[in-house]
Amino acid sequence: MTVPLGAFIAVSAVLFFLGAAGVLVRRNAVVILMCVELMLNASNLALVAFSRRAGQLGAGNPLDQRGSVFVVFVFVIAAAEVAVGLAIILAAYRNRPTVNVDELHQMKG
Amino acid sequence: MIANAWLIPGLPLAAFLMNVSFGRRWLGRWTGTIATAAVGVSAIIAIGIFFEVRAGALRTVVPLYNFMTVGDFHIDVAALIDPLSTAMLLVVTIVSFFIHVYAIGYMAHDRGFWRFFSWFPLFVFAMLILVMADNYLVMFVGWEGVGLCSYLLIGFWFERPEPAGAAKKAFVMNRIGDWGFMVGMITTFLVFGSMNFVDVFDRVARNPPAQGVLSLICLAFFLGATGKSAQLPLYSWLPDAMEGPTPVSALIHAATMVTAGVYLVARSTPLFDAAGPVLAGVAGVGALTAIFAATIALVQFDIKRVMAYSTVSQLGYMFLALGVGAPIAAMFHLITHAFFKALLFLGSGSVIHGFGDVQDMRRMGGLRSKMPLTYWTMVIAGGALAALPPLAGFWSKDEILGSAFKNGYPILWVVGVFTGGLTAFYITRAIWLTFHGVPRDRHLFDHAHESPRVMTVPLLVLAAGSILVGFIGFPPDNGFIHSFIRPAVETGTGSAAVEAGTNWLEFLTFAAISTAVGILGILLGLSMYSRGRPDPAAVSRAAGPYYDVLVNKYYVDELYDRRFVDVAKAFAGAAWAFDIHIIDGLVNRLGWAIKLSGGGLRRAQTGIVGNYALSIVGGLLLILIVYGGYATGWLHR
Amino acid sequence: MFDFLEPFFFGLFALGIIGAGAAVVTLRRITAQALLMALTFACMAGMFLLLGAETIALFQVLIYVGAITILILFGVMFTKVDDRGYGLFFQQQTPWAAAVVLVIALPVAFLALSFHDPITPSAKGGDLIPLAASLFTDYSFPFEVASVLLLAALVGAIVLVKRDDQ
Repeated sequence: MTVPLGAFIAVSAVLFFLGAAGVLVRRNAVVILMCVELMLNASNLALVAFSRRAGQLGAGNPLDQRGSVFVVFVFVIAAAEVAVGLAIILAAYRNRPTVNVDELHQMKG
Repeated sequence: MIANAWLIPGLPLAAFLMNVSFGRRWLGRWTGTIATAAVGVSAIIAIGIFFEVRAGALRTVVPLYNFMTVGDFHIDVAALIDPLSTAMLLVVTIVSFFIHVYAIGYMAHDRGFWRFFSWFPLFVFAMLILVMADNYLVMFVGWEGVGLCSYLLIGFWFERPEPAGAAKKAFVMNRIGDWGFMVGMITTFLVFGSMNFVDVFDRVARNPPAQGVLSLICLAFFLGATGKSAQLPLYSWLPDAMEGPTPVSALIHAATMVTAGVYLVARSTPLFDAAGPVLAGVAGVGALTAIFAATIALVQFDIKRVMAYSTVSQLGYMFLALGVGAPIAAMFHLITHAFFKALLFLGSGSVIHGFGDVQDMRRMGGLRSKMPLTYWTMVIAGGALAALPPLAGFWSKDEILGSAFKNGYPILWVVGVFTGGLTAFYITRAIWLTFHGVPRDRHLFDHAHESPRVMTVPLLVLAAGSILVGFIGFPPDNGFIHSFIRPAVETGTGSAAVEAGTNWLEFLTFAAISTAVGILGILLGLSMYSRGRPDPAAVSRAAGPYYDVLVNKYYVDELYDRRFVDVAKAFAGAAWAFDIHIIDGLVNRLGWAIKLSGGGLRRAQTGIVGNYALSIVGGLLLILIVYGGYATGWLHR
Repeated sequence: MFDFLEPFFFGLFALGIIGAGAAVVTLRRITAQALLMALTFACMAGMFLLLGAETIALFQVLIYVGAITILILFGVMFTKVDDRGYGLFFQQQTPWAAAVVLVIALPVAFLALSFHDPITPSAKGGDLIPLAASLFTDYSFPFEVASVLLLAALVGAIVLVKRDDQ
């Protein structure tokens, strides 16, 4: 009995929304960043799952690797994003020694 | 020569452009020479054209370029060279030339010398456009142009309030007349399908429209003429225009601009002839203006004001002539008047210049010994004005009066003759008060001097003109001017009817009557002012309220002020209040509303990252709902 | 006989992912959160293997478990966590956030489960060759651009963190 595609997608969805909840709820900036990584991972899973499903549709179909290629770029983006995000957090930490995002509200209107 | 007709206005225009661009810094005194030379060359070309027209080129159209063509509306900038326009060309260029020469001397000490000699040739340019146009629209361009230059030149010394106000008054009153001109012009187009003189006059002859419409057109044009030529009721700007420099008064308000109205009506003779009763109205207004202005001139103390009212009065004579069906007489008087009135103004200017810039005759007296040349030229001009034979004014004014009587307007003839008497009286008074008797202001008298040659030579030339120009109308009704102009104004419907020849008996009778009245006027003046019988002061006291009315110019200015100016000011005040409170208020309230909403909306910027993330997720939810709705068919497109 | 292996491992990995993910979101100790995040990444790599995308699984381990976890740990090390109470009204959005997320998550999960297509590993085995072929021919330009992006991120991170008094 093989695992249906829907199972993978369900896992991906649950993980994504867990991450989203974390982003909204948590106040520590580093933890928020971690939750963002969770979301990215969830989307990666969905992409690869659909990509493999498409790969079964037609042998040699030149489109069947698009999902996987996209995932490679997501890796790249995620890495860059974590680097820059941490740099921002550290820079902000230097200004006011807090990573509590609720206290970083000087841009209010 | 005729082919070069466009050089005539072109040269003064070039002079204007050069002087206004470079006059202030580089050309200095040369501006005067440039302007004068330009006008002089124009005069020479005009003389050349005159000879060609006399030789037989009775109607030539010299096109310049196509102004606009919109559907049926086609206007060319073109010149119509015929005897009428040629006569005007000669008067304008020749008289302008000598006044330019005079002005070089008169304005020599003025800081705005270059400015004066920018506007002066510009004026000549506009006047020439007016005269040369072959259609009403181009004529109107010149018409408005002279109005503008009049404003610029009256208000030449604009730092003082009186000239500025006078310039404004002149322009506004002119504008009322301009409105009339426009109504006439547009109606002409609507009725005849063209604004071109030749076309319109052709169509009037072949297929005249209803007399009501034609009367409307003519009345509208006459209103324009009233404004420009200072007839009742739009005359009161002219005396105030004396705030401008004397050469301006001489050129614009004696010889040229104010004659534009006369030229307009003369040019439109075919229209006016077919319009019936309007002509009688023109004559009536002219006669009334003549006597009205003459009565005011009797009691004025400013020498230039006397001349101004005299101009209004003489213009009235010209319109009287037009109205009784004698356009040639009107043009004749226009020509002679240009000479002797310009001379009177220039002479007054010479007196003012030599008498320390004082214009009040009550401080003058006995200047005859100090300024002999000015004195004698003024006497000649005064005699011409009073229509003493054989000076120029006699021939032209007599022809007007004779035509009035012969063409069936005896009452107007009486008015004209009586006004002639008044004219003789007031000019005698003016000359006596200025040049004869005991000097009333000793200090000024001691410093008085004759004007330099650059000013006196034009006086001499104009004096010669005042003597000789009258002979272009000799023999009466059959002279050179008659045969010259007649082809341009004859319409075959009665006006300027061809005379078989001079009726000497008729002529001598009328001449005798009007000359006698004139001499009476002179004698009365001499008696009152040189001998004091009756004493002028006693007469004024006895006349009491009548005298006051005259001195205050019939209180017309006050009347206009209250009736029209105050109303306009009230309206302007209301408009201003509307603008400030309602229009500005609207805009201000709009700004205030935006500020208010901005103030409210900015509260969404809490600065809390979590809030922002929540709104992102909320938006995502919305998108999902919408997308899912479309996909499942739950939401319809 | 080995039929049950695939679902078994799937369940194992799924449990790991969701459990560790929930822990990351809810726990209070940040080091625990970081390490559990690494566990999530590892289970994710296992998922990729199940899908037959071993190259992707390899990258996952290299990049996520390796680099990103370290970076996060750096962040944890350099910052101090302080726990303040809630301040303004708008800062208390935990209930709202939980509600929104659940409202979306559950229907989506149920919807997802309706995909019954089976996934079988492709007969050609592995995804390295097809992936490489696609990446370096059809998508070579984005590949190059991605490297420029990494450079930019690198420089940007350095600029952001530089101290001003140097």
